[in-house]
Parts: sequence; C-alpha cells; structure tokens
Amino acid sequence: MVSEFYEAYSNRHQLAEGWKRAGRKIFGYFCNYTPEELIYSVGIIPVRIRGSAENIDLADAHLPTFCCSYMRGALDQALKGRYSYLDGVVFPKTCDMTRALYDVWRRNIKLPYYWFLPVPGKSTDEAVEFFTHELSLFKESLEEYSKQQISHESLKQAISVYNESRSLVGEVYKQGLSDNHPLSGSQVFGILLAGLVMPKEEHNAMLRKLLDGLPDPNTSRANGTRLLVAGNNFENIELLQTVEECGGDAVIDDLDMGTRYYSSAVDENSEPLRALAERYLRKTPCPCMHPAEPRLERMLELARSYRVKGVILVIQKYCDTHLYERPWIESRLKEEGLPVLAVEHSDTGWSGGKFRTMVQAFIEMLE
Amino acid sequence: MESSQDKPTTPTKPGRLAASAALATLNEDYYRDLANAKEEGRPVVWITSMAPIEMVSAFDGIAFLPENYAALCSSRKVAAEFCQAGEARGYSQDLCSYALCTFGSIFENRGPFGDEAPRAPDILLATEGACATHPKWWEALQRHYNCPLFIVDAAYTVDSETLPEHHKAYFAAQLRELASFMEEHTKRKFDMDKLREVVALSDRASELWDEIDDFRKAIPTPISQIDVFTCLFPLVTLKGTKEPVAFYEQLRDEVKERVDNGIGFVPNERFRLIWDLFPIYHNMRLLNYFAEFGAAFVTDFYGNAFSGRLDASDPFGSLAERYLSFFMRSAQWGKGELYKERARKYHVDGIVFHSNRCCRCFTAEQPDVGNILRDELGLPSLTFEANMVDPRGYDDAQVKARIEAFIEMLEARKYPKEAGMK
Repeated sequence: MVSEFYEAYSNRHQLAEGWKRAGRKIFGYFCNYTPEELIYSVGIIPVRIRGSAENIDLADAHLPTFCCSYMRGALDQALKGRYSYLDGVVFPKTCDMTRALYDVWRRNIKLPYYWFLPVPGKSTDEAVEFFTHELSLFKESLEEYSKQQISHESLKQAISVYNESRSLVGEVYKQGLSDNHPLSGSQVFGILLAGLVMPKEEHNAMLRKLLDGLPDPNTSRANGTRLLVAGNNFENIELLQTVEECGGDAVIDDLDMGTRYYSSAVDENSEPLRALAERYLRKTPCPCMHPAEPRLERMLELARSYRVKGVILVIQKYCDTHLYERPWIESRLKEEGLPVLAVEHSDTGWSGGKFRTMVQAFIEMLE
Repeated sequence: MESSQDKPTTPTKPGRLAASAALATLNEDYYRDLANAKEEGRPVVWITSMAPIEMVSAFDGIAFLPENYAALCSSRKVAAEFCQAGEARGYSQDLCSYALCTFGSIFENRGPFGDEAPRAPDILLATEGACATHPKWWEALQRHYNCPLFIVDAAYTVDSETLPEHHKAYFAAQLRELASFMEEHTKRKFDMDKLREVVALSDRASELWDEIDDFRKAIPTPISQIDVFTCLFPLVTLKGTKEPVAFYEQLRDEVKERVDNGIGFVPNERFRLIWDLFPIYHNMRLLNYFAEFGAAFVTDFYGNAFSGRLDASDPFGSLAERYLSFFMRSAQWGKGELYKERARKYHVDGIVFHSNRCCRCFTAEQPDVGNILRDELGLPSLTFEANMVDPRGYDDAQVKARIEAFIEMLEARKYPKEAGMK
C-alpha cells in the first residue's frame, strides 16, 4: 500500500495526462510559498514542478551551468515536452532563480496562463497586509482565467481540504515518534512526494486508507539510528534508502517538501485571504525569509521531540540562500549536541557510492 | 553631440581624466572619515548596494559597502586568500565572491594593505532590492558582529509597467520604521528636512551621472569603461552628500569638452560595445584589451543601477519608487526592450557578457537576453565566464583568445572589404 505513493510520484506525468484527458486543468507551481488553495478552489489541479535526474541539455542554451540543477532540470524537462499537459505555471518570488526562471520559462514555452507572485521576505504585519493584497490580485486573475468566482465558501472548502492534508501527513509524521514505528523514512518520503503532484483529495483518501491499516506503532519493525534530514528539496529517494541500508532512519525532516510544506494549518475561522497570507508568511520559514532563527528553533524542537542522534543536511549545489545559512546551522546543531553530515546535492550526476561511504562513517560515529 | 561625428578625430589617446585627482582626494577623505567615525560620533552603517543609502546620510552616518571593499581587495590581489579563508569557515566557493571575500577578511582580521579588517559596523542595513542573497549575507554579518540589523524588504513586481501603490506603500512603511530604528540605535533625531536635503543631493548626483552616461553616445565615445567603473565610487558610497555633486560636475564638464572636441578614448574607434555586467576587479585591464582592436565600451548595465532620480518634496515616496523600479528588477521583456533601446541609441556593434560565476541573480538571464538581441537586432555577443572578485580559475589566455575571435567576427561584419583584404 505504502509503495503506491512513490509509484504515483514516479508516474506523475502519466497521471497528469490522464486528468488532462478527463477535462481537468492543471497548473504547475514552484516552491512551498505558492498558496495552492487558491488554484485548487477553481477546480484546477496544482502540481509541483520538479527537475529530473536526466541529463540536462536543452536548458543550457538558456541558463548558465552554475545555476541549481533543480531550476535547470525543471526548464529542461519543460523544453523536452514532459510538462506539455500544463495550462499555466505560477512562480512565487522566493529566490533569485525562481524570479529569473519565470522570465526564461515564459519566453520559451507558450502557455495560456502565467503568474508571478511577489512574496515578501519578512513576516511583519505590514508584510502580511502586502501579501493579502497580492493574494487578492492572484485570486482575481484566477477568476478571470477560469471564468468563475472564487467565493468565500469555495476558498474555505479548498482550505479545509489542504488543512486535512496537513493533519493527515501530521499523523504520518507522528508514527515516527515511536521507536518501532511502522514506516521507514524513505516510505514517508514517497508519501510527501506524492502529495506534491496529486489532487489533494485523492492524496488524502490514500492517506486515510494507509493510516487505517497501519499496525500498532509499538509492535512494528525495529528501526535504525534516528536521524533528521534537512535541506531544500530533492526527489532522490535513493538517498534515504541508502541511509536505511547503512543502519539509519530519517524519522523527521526539515525539508521544503516536508515539514516546511505540510505543517502549519490555515486558520479556518478568519477571513480566508488574510488567513492564507498569515499561514504562508508565518509557517516555518525557508531560508528565503528573514529572520532565519525560527527555522533553526523548529529544527531543534523536532530533533528533541523525535529524539534524533544526528542530522543529515542535504543542500542543493548553487542554492545561495541555503548555502549562506549552512555554516551557522551546522555549528548551532553541533553546539546542541547534534552531529551533522552535510552533503551538497545535484539532481543530476548523483554519486551514490560516495554518499554511502559518508553515511556509513557518520552512522558508525553516532553509534 | 551629433556634430561630433563630422569633426576631425584626434588620433592620439587622451590622457588621464583630470577628475581622477579629485576622485583620489574623495577616496582618501572617505577612508579618513571612516577611520575617525567613532571619535566623531558618526554611525558607520554597512549597507548593501540598492539599500536606501539616503537614510544613512540623513543621520550623518557613513555608509560602508562590503561590495566596494571586496572589489578593493580584489584589485589589491588579496581576494583569493580571503575567499579561501571564507571557505575554511564553511562558506561555499559558489557564493557571491563579494561576500566570501569580506567573510575571509573579517574572520581573519586582515585588510587589503597588510592592515586589519574594516572596523565593525554600528548598524547593518540590507535590502533584497538587488538580490535575494543580500539579506542572507547581512544575517551572517549580524551573527558575527552581534549588532543591530534592519532589512528593507523590496518585493518584486515584474509585469507591471507602473509601480503598484501597495508595493510603494509597503516600502515606504518600512522606511518610516527604519527611521525609528536609526533613531533608536544612533541616539539622533530623525529630521525630515535633513532627509529632503539629502534626497535633493542624491537626485542631483544621479542627474549628473545620467548626463555623463548620455555623452557616451558620442562617436567616438569619450571615456573608457574603466573610468566609468572607477568614477562610480562617489555615487555608490557618498550619495546624499555634497561631494559627489561637485565631483560629477567636474567630470561632466571634462567629458563634455572631450565630446565637443571629438576626442575619443580609443583612437580610431572601430567597434562600439555594451558591457554586461559586473567588472572583473582582479583584471580591470581586460577592458583595455578590447581597445587594442579599436573596440570601445559605450554603455554598460552596471553603473546606471546606482543612479536614480528622486523628488525632495516626497522623500519616502520617491525613495520607494526609485529602489523598487530600477531597471535590473524588471522582467525579461522589460530588460530585452531596454537592452535593444540602448543598443540602438548608442550605435552598438555587439554585446559582451561577463558570465559571473558567483552571481546567479544577474547572470541567469544573460543567455536569453543575448538570444533576444540576436533574434531581434541581429546583434552578436561574446560570453565568457569569470568571477568578479575571486581570480582563482580565471584563464586570461583563453578569455583573450575568445575576444580576438569575437573581434575578427565583428570585423568581417562591419568592415567586410578590409577584412577580405587581410
């Protein structure tokens, strides 16, 4: 049952083509700062745009090779026609690369809908007010595109589906609190990835079924050395499988498509646009936000409650915002008694053998 | 200016700019003021480029730009060591070399003249108006110096031709907050009249800079790209004070005189080029290599970013407008239009892209801007990789070979007869 999630992620393009044939509209989006609820509320399926482990060739005519493999790979996939089912793409301004990619994508791939969403870099009251205004412009443009009004009710409905997703994934994460939890880190990773590329109600239905069938967390498999995996985003499930083969287990994460995406519910009792603005600006921040401390604090809190023995930091090569925080995050974690294994990761050209050696040594050291 | 074409061109190379002497004095005064700041009770504020420096001048503070400092380190040939020292503390070699070099210098407490690192800041002021990495760099500085930090958030608006009101309002609200923050940390009162004066001086310096830039349209173009980069210092560091105004008046007069007399900095100017974007501080002389082939840079997309017109009757509003809508922030269609316009107005034969390995923000779109210029104007381009501050890995011979090949191609396009005779 649990393998179905990662299978869904692996087959994401075929799945999307199926929905497309069934008459659904599909929007691609970048980053966990896109308020998908708005897209979902007009019946459009939002799917996260990802790169690939495939060689990058077509994108090189448009982006320098010293840009991150995620953005280059995503553009390359699009230029190769892998995303031909998309009706539109939404780019939130979080880093310099998403901003640049908006331009490059738009120039080279013609689509009926594009939206650039200015996301503030702070979470003050003024920033929330600003973002609420931006969300109202985004809402209007979606209404115009879809030729339907986004009512209070339809938006609240979308918010409640997304909150349910957050709470169900929260249940999955909770399993990891136990020493003999039933799901491995790589299995959970498959669940997280599937949620990025499926309609949330379908993902929720799969999650409910999975959770109903889970054995008692205290009578399950014996687990390896408890670890927290942190960083930006990657889709390389092998990475976590290698950790498990080496006797480790990522019981919790601080990842862009992990806890930073699936945590923090939207307040269903206040005005929906403002509630969305607050949730997105005040969730656990990614390094594109200022200040940086809340992310570290959250990481330490998770490390404590999940009783992890060490942290694996996986950072996308050329990801400036993460690279600036890396020395500080590493030293603060170590000060708190958490050894860190930091690796730079590229979606393409992943060297599994080298990583295995590093992880083996790291886990031996922890034990 | 049109008439300059008809006048006989002087085949000799003009000498050094007379304004260089004034610039050297400004530089010395600035570093002396910086050294005496503590004694004189003036706050030293480390700012990013595109931060509202006018707010520093309004508090009689001294702005210090680590970017400018790293450029100095690079020209003094100490950047490689400093960058390595930054790496030794866990900062990636792929990061902005302005930052990496500054980190190395301050962690090791070493300066570019065998001296110490710059004095610690009293206040840190950053914006993400230029790039998203600036606030991250300033957060790291804040952790190192443990001093007050203010970040002015400059949200992007790429598709709108006019600045939306709520963007302006958000920025202006932060300027008001910054004024209180500066009051708290400098123990000085914020004075709106003083800000108006500063804003008027800043505007005047920008106006003069734009005039000078406009003279570069002349054929032959009057000043070198090295002069342009060098003369930027007051605009970058002293804006909002009186000194840049006097300096740029002098420079403007000198440039005008050259244009009036048909003096170009490249004798027998044969090719007119655009430089995009960052200087290569460890090898500024590369720009002169182009001159050996009669190629002159007649405009660039770096210097102008530091000039921005302001309105003293609405300081906060016009600062918001200036810092939110400077051209590097526009979407690609906007950039494409801008580059095309510049290419036409300055009678340009080609564009040179310095693909600055450590800067994704201003380099990521270069290939497509080149594609636009090629497809829509038939303008050829040369792209080569380097790192603006860090000389490691830079291959001068290879870059020069690329330049020669590019010039040959330009030659064949512009002067097919002569090229055929060779």
